[in-house]
Amino acid sequence: MERFVIIGAGAAGIRAAQTLRKFRPEDLITVISIDDTVHSRCMLHKYLGHERDAQGISFVEADFFEKNDITHIAGEKVTKIDTGLKMVYYGEQYSAPYDKLLIAAGSGFFIPPIPHFREAPNVFGFRDFSDALKIDEAFLKGKRVFIVGSGLVGLDAASALCERGAQITIAEMAPRVMPLQTDDYAASIYQKAFEAHGCKFLLGVGATDAVVDEKGNITEVILATGEHIPCDFIIMAAGVRPRIEIAQNSGIAAERAIQVDDHLRTSAPDVYAAGDCTGLSGVWPDAAAQGEAAAENMAGIDTVYEKPYPFKNTSNFFGVTMLSVGRLDLTEGAEILIHRTPKEYKKAIIKDGKLTGYLSLGDISNSGLYLHLIKNGIDVSGKTDKIFRLSFSDFYGINEKNGEYAYSVS
Amino acid sequence: MKRIFIDPTKCDGCKNCSLACMEAHRQDGGTGIYTLDLQDPSNQSRNRILTDGKGGYNPIFCRHCDIPDCAGACMSGALQKNMDNGLVEYDAEKCAACYMCVMSCRYGVPAISPDRKRVIKCDFCAHLEEGPACVRACPKKAIEVREV
Repeated sequence: MERFVIIGAGAAGIRAAQTLRKFRPEDLITVISIDDTVHSRCMLHKYLGHERDAQGISFVEADFFEKNDITHIAGEKVTKIDTGLKMVYYGEQYSAPYDKLLIAAGSGFFIPPIPHFREAPNVFGFRDFSDALKIDEAFLKGKRVFIVGSGLVGLDAASALCERGAQITIAEMAPRVMPLQTDDYAASIYQKAFEAHGCKFLLGVGATDAVVDEKGNITEVILATGEHIPCDFIIMAAGVRPRIEIAQNSGIAAERAIQVDDHLRTSAPDVYAAGDCTGLSGVWPDAAAQGEAAAENMAGIDTVYEKPYPFKNTSNFFGVTMLSVGRLDLTEGAEILIHRTPKEYKKAIIKDGKLTGYLSLGDISNSGLYLHLIKNGIDVSGKTDKIFRLSFSDFYGINEKNGEYAYSVS
Repeated sequence: MKRIFIDPTKCDGCKNCSLACMEAHRQDGGTGIYTLDLQDPSNQSRNRILTDGKGGYNPIFCRHCDIPDCAGACMSGALQKNMDNGLVEYDAEKCAACYMCVMSCRYGVPAISPDRKRVIKCDFCAHLEEGPACVRACPKKAIEVREV
């Protein structure tokens, strides 16, 4: 009987546990997580917005661990791994032996080195369930919120709190909101939607200093322009960093992220890594796919994991939906096609007959096709005149064996 | 598991399947195709018949894939592959409308709802004992349920 241990209960960790159970019905599976409950990071704003309770933002059934006969060690932080003895240490004095180990510790929020920001007790991240609890508590005392960063995490937090009557200021270093996913026009649509709900944006400007009270709490953020913005607390949404402390404490190769090979193996024997802590990608589907691939390898099923490509994400704020794939900024030598109506905005970047970037704002149904075209470098040179009206019908094929579809590309 | 097999050469584009789908999922309590409001976006069909540009038709139906990219991408647990019956099932209550499934389905099957709060996707007419309404409505037998 083999002993499988998984560190982390996010997208990668849970998918790995499910996959291991599928292939190894009899073996011992243990999940160790910092959070007490399983929750979807992508739904944290629904908890903060008081739209759902803790179980409502879980992505597994309440009896997931019992039903699958998986031991869940909850609320414990792994401190170190002894890769020689094959032992995981957690909490003050506990240890768990393993035959195969998966590190799926995720990523943590990053606080830039702005004076007072790293020490102030009223500066929060928005990654873990515990972060949402802290913000919820702080919100009881004051409703003036300063958010650093207008990416998906920052806007998630803003959308949740503005529904609860917060006075929100969002500072973004880039000249537009959601700079990674948008172009100027798409960004302006989102900016207007948030402004209509009372949020204020400060674009192209960063925080450089802060005024603190006697307890070290930041009471005013000082901008690069010298302006002072009073606030009750701060949410940091200026990017994340892979959690590598466990690897570093254990002699497992890690620089910015935990290094993995194409089987998601780390430098230590029988230790695998998946999800954000590998630095390969930052989106849910990729993390889950890594958890699955790593678990298959742990179960002895040889699985090569292809690096995720391209960049992709979706967003949905106040009913404004957007899909963003590939690189919208690499436009040199490329053809840029735009389709704009009062309800829709679509943009395609085409280079050498292939799609390299695609943006869709409005009804994003059917847009998975474009991700597939970019991911697989499928030639669209004869189809550029109807690039925004493409469907699977243009690549129609059927796998006669199982009745599924198959892309037919010439 | 069962899957709706498609023979596009038999399809003549009558869209009876789409009407049957709309009728099977209508929420207004009415019955009968003659009272179905075809202009109500909430009555959207879960299947589509598209032209192939050469005079023929390409039916687009959810495949309830063996390895479903939509469910693999779902961060709320709303979309799940049921290993007992093989269906990719959707729970609108759990759905957080992030649309990762829409992004991940290479065939463009899950559609976003008009209110932007859920997705619209084939449920194999789980509420009908006699099975998918589309299959029963097809006069050409271009779609049929088979065991795989």
